[in-house]
Amino acid sequence: MLELLTALIARVPRRCTYAEARHVATDDEDVLVRNGHVEQVDSASYAGIGVRVRAGGGWGFAATRELTLPAAERALAQALAIAESQPAAPAGALAAVAPAVGHWACAYEIDPFDVALEDKLELLFAAEAGLRGDPRIVRADAECSSRRVRTAFASTAGAACTQIRVECGAAISAIAVDGDELQVRSHPGAHGGSAACAGWEHVLAFDLVAHAPRVAAEAIELLTAPPCPSGRATVVLGGEQLALQIHESIGHALELDRMLLGEASYAGTSWVSPADLGTLRYGSEQLSITADATLPGGLGSFGWDDEGVAAARTPLVAGGILRAALSDRQSAAAIGLGGSGGCARADGFARQPIVRMTNVSIEPGEAGTLDELIADTGEGLYLETNRSWSIDDRRLHFQFATEVAREIRGGELGRLLRNPSYAGVTPQFWRGMDAVCSAPAWRLWGVGNCGKGEPGQLMRVSHGTAPARFRDVQVGVA
Amino acid sequence: MAGDSPPDIAQRALAVAGDDVQVTVVRERSLLSRFARSAPTQATAVEDTSVEILAVRDGHTASATTNRLDDDALRATARRAGAAAAAVARAGSGLHPGLAEPAPAPGAEHAGYDAATAALDPEHAAGALRTAFAVAAEHGLEAFGVWSVGAVRTAIVSTTGLQCDDEVTDAFMKVVCRDAGGRSGYAAGTAVAASGIEDEALARRAASKVGDAPLAELGPGSWPVVLEPDAVGLLLEFLGGLAFNGLDHAEGRGALSDRLGTSVAAPSISLADAAGAPGTLPRAFDLEGVPKTSVALIDGGVATGVVHDRRSAAVAGDGARSTGHATAPGGSPHGPSPTNLILAGGAAADAAELASTIERGLYVTRLWYVNTVREKETLLTGMTRDGTFLIEDGAITRPTANVRFTDSVLRLLAATEELTRARRLVSEGEFYGRRFANGVLCPALRAGGFRVTGATE
Repeated sequence: MLELLTALIARVPRRCTYAEARHVATDDEDVLVRNGHVEQVDSASYAGIGVRVRAGGGWGFAATRELTLPAAERALAQALAIAESQPAAPAGALAAVAPAVGHWACAYEIDPFDVALEDKLELLFAAEAGLRGDPRIVRADAECSSRRVRTAFASTAGAACTQIRVECGAAISAIAVDGDELQVRSHPGAHGGSAACAGWEHVLAFDLVAHAPRVAAEAIELLTAPPCPSGRATVVLGGEQLALQIHESIGHALELDRMLLGEASYAGTSWVSPADLGTLRYGSEQLSITADATLPGGLGSFGWDDEGVAAARTPLVAGGILRAALSDRQSAAAIGLGGSGGCARADGFARQPIVRMTNVSIEPGEAGTLDELIADTGEGLYLETNRSWSIDDRRLHFQFATEVAREIRGGELGRLLRNPSYAGVTPQFWRGMDAVCSAPAWRLWGVGNCGKGEPGQLMRVSHGTAPARFRDVQVGVA
Repeated sequence: MAGDSPPDIAQRALAVAGDDVQVTVVRERSLLSRFARSAPTQATAVEDTSVEILAVRDGHTASATTNRLDDDALRATARRAGAAAAAVARAGSGLHPGLAEPAPAPGAEHAGYDAATAALDPEHAAGALRTAFAVAAEHGLEAFGVWSVGAVRTAIVSTTGLQCDDEVTDAFMKVVCRDAGGRSGYAAGTAVAASGIEDEALARRAASKVGDAPLAELGPGSWPVVLEPDAVGLLLEFLGGLAFNGLDHAEGRGALSDRLGTSVAAPSISLADAAGAPGTLPRAFDLEGVPKTSVALIDGGVATGVVHDRRSAAVAGDGARSTGHATAPGGSPHGPSPTNLILAGGAAADAAELASTIERGLYVTRLWYVNTVREKETLLTGMTRDGTFLIEDGAITRPTANVRFTDSVLRLLAATEELTRARRLVSEGEFYGRRFANGVLCPALRAGGFRVTGATE
């Protein structure tokens, strides 16, 4: 396929100042066992070519599912036609890029597509059975998903590269209902669990079967647990919830296209401006955030982004001070950066690359294990597993709910509390973080449903986190 | 390759797919232009066709999907679906009721297709963008937004004899006008035809929402509120998923489980799902090939029904039948969904009249990043955005900072005091995956006790 793309790029007319062509072939499989029955076994294979061009100041993108040179040429012509039909716009520069040449593949041990469906069902049935037993569990789910993405990319900037990535994930969840009360508990995370750029060994490591009885018991216990109190409290966030906190209030806020108002009508803008780079105190001295597309296992890892920019590791916040933003070639050039941050990513062949997170992670701290952090905390709340999330269009005012909270009393975890929630304002919240657990407690969490762009694109990213402590947080807000 | 229309492709797939299968072919052609700071930023043309083969074995389903249309690919996809369904069936019998039989009467004709829109003319986009830029400039503002049109043809055939073919078009434009200080105003239009999008009127409405008076403060608390149709529509979309999903309802997880036949909203609230009603985005059948039927959901404040696909109807039992609300072949694991909600209008002439009885309250143009906090309570949280104003002494006066709300949709509908006569088809225009245009036809409304729980700086 790379030969076809390079042949197409060789045919790009001179009036086109930049062109790129991307072939993407995606294989997906989703399996769900629910309430003792197989609810879903879906597989899908999509492939096509997307062509993006710049002519005058306008961009045009066209996609075709036909994998032939004539079809790709028609897509090129259509992309040019719609670029040239746009109202005139200034043609800003693109940041320079070294030609992307070669092949990249993510590492994995067991190809999930080589695992027999019967074996997947056996695992899911066993896990799901462990969730059932109490009639108040009205829904017991065990699910797994697998994805393989093969891409080829060529551009007028000299790119000619190919990549293969394999991803998979799994989860169990139990929903308990008693009258008007509904509670949910999940493992290893909510919203379909935690996927990784890895093989089936990633799923096996979740040990779904062993965790199922605990998950079900906690869902039942939550039905009659005392409600989370309202007020201000010291809060320790578990790793999965902290991943979403970083995603929403740091990752998106640091997308340079948002800062430059390119997403103002949909995803929104940012409370951060390009002028803040290098000076803004984003959080406490304990806050160091890194965007790392080279991280093994990360859903945001790759060899090159979808503009052919090589994967990089970039400190975004160091010691609480904002150092860099997430950028593509256009946004980087717009503020005079020497090069793109390598964050242009596209969802499949029929979408164009836009600024996206890679793997945006908090660096581990020195607070030891979670138990040691709890012991050091004394009194407060421990919140775990996301249930609800919302943040304003500047990524400033947020409100989250988790599946469960536990009291922290005398330095130990205590009672389960239902319907926990907390709210805050981004810089104040991060400035209140005074401890992060140490490296052994740090792990990657996959987020598979990050929406952005029009037409909509769902991107997969990972966040490395270790549990962290926040002081003076507003809790019990919903 | 013989014939490449969706019905032709569906028949070719059916011919190689074996027993007990449904073939669903969806062809999308769409054009979308984005703009920011009064300049075009992205323009996307998509043409793609997917073929999904659903196999049913002993009460289990499995599906396989491809966008390769040659016979070999269709045969391989059918094999994949059949093998998966057979593997699942070895685990025991399942609950799926089987494929739909052909409807005794063909689906009703609808006005959901416009040939001129299906031409996907990029010059039309260019004209709409120029208009938005010019109107924004008149007001010293910048324009942001999107213009988009799409044509989607869906063909479904099955071994039970289904032969469905439906083509719909849709058009969407939103305009956000923004001043140098970051204040913004919003307007959006949704229609079957591109000619139904009034680009200049949208831009002027968006510009009018920016406001230049100093920002007013409205602290946390419960306030009377006037919600414009865009805000009402988004709340109703969430309610559709939380209260009227027949699968959730049957499992006891729905917000109206055990509450049908009881009063759940003000007497002025009548809500239905009706894909064939004028002013909506009509469709003939759902993705199980079942004709779409109108369902009364709330009538005069009393909860009256939920929607079903074949799977949820089987779970519900007690004579429940599909109402034509499947969102995936074989029924989605998430259950059926009402995608053509219609809220009856009231007596108020306009939003200003709704505000006229409020001493101090909030006027909301649209909501943003709404998410569910607690399902059975229909408790949501989200932000206001792009046009939030204070109502003082019966008049819409000054802009306020965006506020966070945390409130129950059913509580708001119970506290609804009046609605406008006029209704508007509203949509977020979000298209993730395959384009599936949907919207809510609704008026503006006034309700008491809108719970504000925070505000942006």
